[in-house]
Amino acid sequence: MSSIVEVRALTKRFDELVAVNDVSFSIEEGEVFGLLGPNGAGKTTTISMVSCLIEPTSGTIVVNGHDSAREPGALKAALGVVPQEIALYPTLTAAENLRFWGSMYGLRGDALKSAVADALELAGLADRAKERVEKYSGGMKRRINIAAGILHKPRVLLMDEPTVGIDPQSRNHILETVKDLNAAGMTVLYTSHYMEEVEYLCDRIAIMDHGVIIAEGTLNELRDVVGGMDVVAVKVAGVTSEVLERVRAIEGVEGVESVEDALEVLTRSSGSIMGRLVSTLESEGAHVTSVSVTEPNLESVFLHLTGKSLRD
Amino acid sequence: MRNLFTIAAKDTRIMVRDRAALLVMLAMPLGLIFILGSALGNVGEGDSLDAEVAIVNLDSGDTGERFVDGLTSAEEIDAVFNIHVRDDADKVRTEVERGDLTAALIIPKDLTDRITRGEPAPLEVLQDPGSAVIAGVWAAVVRAGVAQASAQIVAGHTLAEAFAAPLSAGPPSGADASNALPGASHGSPGETQELELDAVRVSELDVELEKEISMISFYAAAMSGMFLLFGGMFGAFSFVRERREQTLARMMSTPSSTAVIVGGKALGVMLIGVLQFLVLLAGTRLLFQVDWGSDVLAVVLVGFAEVLSAAGLAMALAALGKTERAIGGIAPAFIMLFAALGGAMIPAEQLPSWLLPVQVLSPVYWTVESFLELMRGGALADVLPNIGAVTAIGVVLLGFGVWRVRYE
Repeated sequence: MSSIVEVRALTKRFDELVAVNDVSFSIEEGEVFGLLGPNGAGKTTTISMVSCLIEPTSGTIVVNGHDSAREPGALKAALGVVPQEIALYPTLTAAENLRFWGSMYGLRGDALKSAVADALELAGLADRAKERVEKYSGGMKRRINIAAGILHKPRVLLMDEPTVGIDPQSRNHILETVKDLNAAGMTVLYTSHYMEEVEYLCDRIAIMDHGVIIAEGTLNELRDVVGGMDVVAVKVAGVTSEVLERVRAIEGVEGVESVEDALEVLTRSSGSIMGRLVSTLESEGAHVTSVSVTEPNLESVFLHLTGKSLRD
Repeated sequence: MRNLFTIAAKDTRIMVRDRAALLVMLAMPLGLIFILGSALGNVGEGDSLDAEVAIVNLDSGDTGERFVDGLTSAEEIDAVFNIHVRDDADKVRTEVERGDLTAALIIPKDLTDRITRGEPAPLEVLQDPGSAVIAGVWAAVVRAGVAQASAQIVAGHTLAEAFAAPLSAGPPSGADASNALPGASHGSPGETQELELDAVRVSELDVELEKEISMISFYAAAMSGMFLLFGGMFGAFSFVRERREQTLARMMSTPSSTAVIVGGKALGVMLIGVLQFLVLLAGTRLLFQVDWGSDVLAVVLVGFAEVLSAAGLAMALAALGKTERAIGGIAPAFIMLFAALGGAMIPAEQLPSWLLPVQVLSPVYWTVESFLELMRGGALADVLPNIGAVTAIGVVLLGFGVWRVRYE
């Protein structure tokens, strides 16, 4: 396979703020490549530079053989972009929106008509094509937002957090759509702060934090970063910051994350710390209802690399 | 390049569905034209008007005085004219030329002496160039009065010769003068007319007379000039909304160049403005019988030039305001300022003299002046410099907008 996206030493400064710092990655044709990181990690700035929306301070971007500095038009023609915001016209119907975006990519006549029909079918909204987008639910808008990005059958699809703020049903529909598009040969650059999505979709993943890529590889390669570690998941109520500090201080604990009424503890010796973990929690007044040991995931990797949760 | 039209067509479609915008761009100007035009009357075309006229009696004898009495005492004449008896002929002449008085009659100082000697006695009738119809009626009234007086003078001469008695000419009857109106002869605008009678000659002031414009026509020109700029405000709203909702960023991520995208947005404002102008043109013509003049091409070109200004204003406002709220504050202030300077609220010539040099910065000024000129019978050649001025203002505003606007 050959690289269809090449990003080298990409940096973007906004005055004193370095939003993206010396980022490099490449995406092979037919891959789903994930950029995972918390809000503010620099994912959107990176994707904006790749789509030529903002100019890099330094570094190079080549997509489908076209350099962003020299051939932005040709580069953009090879891309489909699904922005984080629902970038549609609410007072136009879904079909009118799609016709407009298809035209912007040079589709005309029967080719446009056919592309719009296909995109509506893919979004599962063919029967509501003549309704104004303002009347759609959030999930339906998201689906049309994606459809508008794939009308012209781009070589590479950039998707920036496409599932933010939608219901589980629409989310599943979107994830399956990405799978289908990729199965049809489309290369996808997918950014998210939901590690489950990235784990489910992506062939390779780059984890970003504070504008830099802190780890990159396949899911298994990244899991190896926390190789030999387990995640002890504790269902517990009444965890305070003081309790968290006491848990962190337990010997053998590599990291702790608190998610709603549960704790996820990263450790290389789950068997030996289990008893101390539960007794520490109980002694601090927290009420433990269950304990289980699972395989590490991307959350564990991020926790291990940064000492904080993806949700922080 | 084709995407320029795609963007413009999309913006037009969105605007046509925006009821608030349609209300401001179409219903408000038509409503204001109707209200202001109706409230302020149809100057020059009405049936009963208190037209301001003056009589200056310089005659040292009693003939002039009796002539004045005849005109001022007739009820029928009083219903149409508000007659002022004045002393200073030069001042009255100036006031007529300025339009403060609709018409005037100046009776020469030797009227009685000339009549006594049996010589022609010229009366001077002055007409305001901007009030041809009413001033013409005044001239007809004077002619009728003269005809009456002349007949009596001739009769007086005949009797004097027969009985060697002194001349005695009675004043003209107001009622008679008024009755004589329908048959009175009217001079053609812009021509000097002389009416030779046996003893009295009437001459009209030789002035360039223009077609009178009704108030509703004036406000049709003024409100169209002003409200076409509101298209610019909605154009700026559209640009900022696209920036906020990321559709502009999405457009920028397509292969279309920035120039095509900005050009498409500007073309959209112009397309909407053209539609707005055509609706206003047709609406004022059909609803209020506004006569925009015979040179339709010139009227349309003036409108198009103003629409270009609106597109320039849209980009300039989008550059100045970061949000729709900010533009909602700035835009009406700009437009009202342009309208006030441009004579859309009060006639431009009534503005203080120190403001006159800045009038030229207002596209509304050039547009309204052009529309009024065409309504008075002007042609394309008369308004070409104005069209050039409006276009230049539009280009400058557009240039500033493109230079300063943010796309992210």
